Amino acid sequence: MTQWLPRTYLTLIYILLYVPVVVLVVFSFNESRTGYAWGGLSLRWYEALFNNRAMVNAIWNSLWLALSAATVSTVIGALTALALHRYRFRGKKLLNGMLFVVMMSPEIVLAISLLALFLLVGLQLGYVSLLLAHVTFCLPFVVITVLARLSGFDDSLPEAARDLGASDFTMTRTVLIPVIMPALLAGWLLGFTLSLDDVVVSTFVSGPSYEILPLRIYSMVRVGLKPEVNALGALLLVFSLVMLMLSQWILIRSKR
Amino acid sequence: MKKLALAGMLAVGLTGCSSEEPQVLNLYNWSEYMPQEVLDRFTEETGVQVVYTTYDSNEAMYARLKLLDDSAAYDLAVPSTYYVSKMRQEGLLLPIDRSKIEGFDNLDPELVNLDIDPENKFSVPYLWGTTGLAVDASDIEGEPVTAWEDLWDDRFDGRVMLTNDMREVFHVGLRVLGYSGNSTNPDEIEAAYEKLSELMPSVRTFNSDAPRMPYLEGETDVGMIWNGEAVMAKDTMASLDYVYPEEGIIAWLDSFVIPKNAKNPEAAHQFISFVLQPEISALISEEIGYATPNLAARALLPDEVANNRASYPNATDMINAEFQTDIGDDALQVYAKYWEMLKSGR
Amino acid sequence: MRSVMQQPFKTAVLILVWGWLLFLVLAPNLLVVGASVMTRDPVSFLSLPLNLDAYGQLFDPLYLEVFLHSLYMAGMTTLVCLLIGYPFAWALSRVGRQRQLILIFLLIVPFWTNSLVRTYALKLILATNGLLNSALMSVGLIDEPLQLLYTEGAVIIGLVYLLLPFMILPLYSVFEDLKQEILLASHDLGAGRLSTFVHVIVPLTLPGVLAGVMLVLLPAMGLFFVPDILGGSRNLLVGNVIKNQFLDARNWPFGAAASIVLTVTMALLIFAHRLSKQRIGEEGA
Repeated sequence: MTQWLPRTYLTLIYILLYVPVVVLVVFSFNESRTGYAWGGLSLRWYEALFNNRAMVNAIWNSLWLALSAATVSTVIGALTALALHRYRFRGKKLLNGMLFVVMMSPEIVLAISLLALFLLVGLQLGYVSLLLAHVTFCLPFVVITVLARLSGFDDSLPEAARDLGASDFTMTRTVLIPVIMPALLAGWLLGFTLSLDDVVVSTFVSGPSYEILPLRIYSMVRVGLKPEVNALGALLLVFSLVMLMLSQWILIRSKR
Repeated sequence: MKKLALAGMLAVGLTGCSSEEPQVLNLYNWSEYMPQEVLDRFTEETGVQVVYTTYDSNEAMYARLKLLDDSAAYDLAVPSTYYVSKMRQEGLLLPIDRSKIEGFDNLDPELVNLDIDPENKFSVPYLWGTTGLAVDASDIEGEPVTAWEDLWDDRFDGRVMLTNDMREVFHVGLRVLGYSGNSTNPDEIEAAYEKLSELMPSVRTFNSDAPRMPYLEGETDVGMIWNGEAVMAKDTMASLDYVYPEEGIIAWLDSFVIPKNAKNPEAAHQFISFVLQPEISALISEEIGYATPNLAARALLPDEVANNRASYPNATDMINAEFQTDIGDDALQVYAKYWEMLKSGR
Repeated sequence: MRSVMQQPFKTAVLILVWGWLLFLVLAPNLLVVGASVMTRDPVSFLSLPLNLDAYGQLFDPLYLEVFLHSLYMAGMTTLVCLLIGYPFAWALSRVGRQRQLILIFLLIVPFWTNSLVRTYALKLILATNGLLNSALMSVGLIDEPLQLLYTEGAVIIGLVYLLLPFMILPLYSVFEDLKQEILLASHDLGAGRLSTFVHVIVPLTLPGVLAGVMLVLLPAMGLFFVPDILGGSRNLLVGNVIKNQFLDARNWPFGAAASIVLTVTMALLIFAHRLSKQRIGEEGA
């Protein structure tokens, strides 16, 4: 059959997908202040970015939040996946269903429900509220990643370990954790990225005591074209590219 | 167990922000409404870090302040006239301790002790300004634009910008129909909505984050703008004129207030005093183009700023001008409903 | 009690995850349902009496228009994603294994990049003085710049750009699963290409289509920052309405009711997805 048509089509769509990203990176080196015209090569916007104390502060806050949200959701998510994989218990289907619903829910629905909760219990909006919210929307993704790994895994190994007298806990620690390690890392990286990217939920559950990067970017892009945003976008692109390659590398290596 | 898990989470949270932090002032202000230099100099002088968070409408500011009520989120906010009285009456504000404020006497007597806050127990005027017409002279052909009514002209199809501010946009609609911009009469508001919806096909965008940007970016050529934004835009776009419409401009006064649960009212007082210094007030007016109510500061302004009609209107410019006033929650709901219809209309 | 003692680990894990879901998913959602039947209160956000006014407000012809328009834009987004994504996924499933991995990697790279920044990049392209207009004018296709930014089209372009991978990935996975022999069998029996497509491929890929629709349609109604940046604060989505009600107009019952509309839409889509999978399962058996 003819091959050129599908190939041309794929190429075309990929070009369209990448044009904005390339434009962003190219323009981040643009000397000119007015966003559109090319005014020569310059690193001034990167410099402006790092001289902006509030911006640097927001970057650190976001990294720390993403780090902790990814870690907490990986721990809880992995344990949940193990429970779903190994145990029979009442409400298993319900648990599965709830995780699925969390994953499918539009972010804005999650956002307002959490806002209502935090206000009701009087939790100050800041780091803790952000962390609770971010872990909640990362959780199902970790569970799925780990479950997928577990389903491809031979159940006879834990059986054997149990026959040899290993307790549940020991068995989990010595046999299962090493097996699901790649999935844990992949899930962690996914959680990290989701947290770093989130605008919708954070808009609702953040307070001024803990300003994070996406909201900072949001207030910048609403003001208009700002070359600093290009520089920041280019940095974020490189950062996420590294993260993504890392996670792919982990997954591919683990398959061998 | 659930509680234990939560306690664990909270512990993680606490370690996250337990590091010794310097004193912080949480300033909640309009976007682009305070030069960075002022914040830097304040920090230099007092050691207090300023966290500057922005909003683009009084409604958003008010809703967020109420939302964060008990969590003592903001130390200082800058509502417009009618929100000062609303927040004062609802007991959302801390009284301002005049003994901690220096330079209050420098303020224009005409802009203190207003009805919104008699004796200024809860507010200190920061800047005042106007909302008028922006006209990109290089892109407009034909008759000059002199009135709000002119925005309805066919030749501006798809080139009009309005501020993203419910009260201001309806103010324009009401004035064009000859009503007060502070109308609480549902019929008048509806009529204004009808009138404004005729304008909607011409409206390209709403913007209250930086109303000058759509003009600078070439998206719009005519519409509403705040005077300070018009002054700032003039530096990069000489053809953008600020016009006082015949029906009258919208005038407003923005004041510092301290929310009742402020964590650091001490620093808030310090900041107000800092801004009231004539030299600082003058710097602000010069940088962002709005008028300072500080008479001692006005004396320090360079001539080209003090004589800039966009920043400091003369008496004829203020003919028909109308200050925004508090219209009560019921009327606000009526506005809010039509506002959403307007913005989502075709 | 004995079983608890025997499996302390299992018990602890289940309590932890159930606790989390009940406290941070179920309870908050019940609160939203509760808020939707309360009365707006200017001072404390919510008050009694309970009533269904907020739902009535949804059917106010004026708000209904907002919702329908938002639904229309989300629907168009989904349709465009499907039209681009369906042939894309099919073409992707036909390339060699090694190349496929690279292509999928390339597809998710943008997805891992900050979505706000990518939306902003589109603004650089679509603006009146932006790259697209400059390019079109320099090749002489147009004389006057087109008004692209701050339009309904710009919002749809933005949504498609952000959400396309979510349509492609589930479609790709069903195309991968499509057994070559089914196609061959149908072909051998004399079915034409079109007939093969209509009677074999479409039904078999239906679960993938529905999964994609679900993953695109729901966010396309909620991503409020896209109209904020590309729509000129016009062309509102349901997400904008909800956000305004909570963070601007302080009408929580109405905001809550609007969000429940989204939840119900989601439930319907999940239901349709389940149904289509079941049908395929039965036919296969």
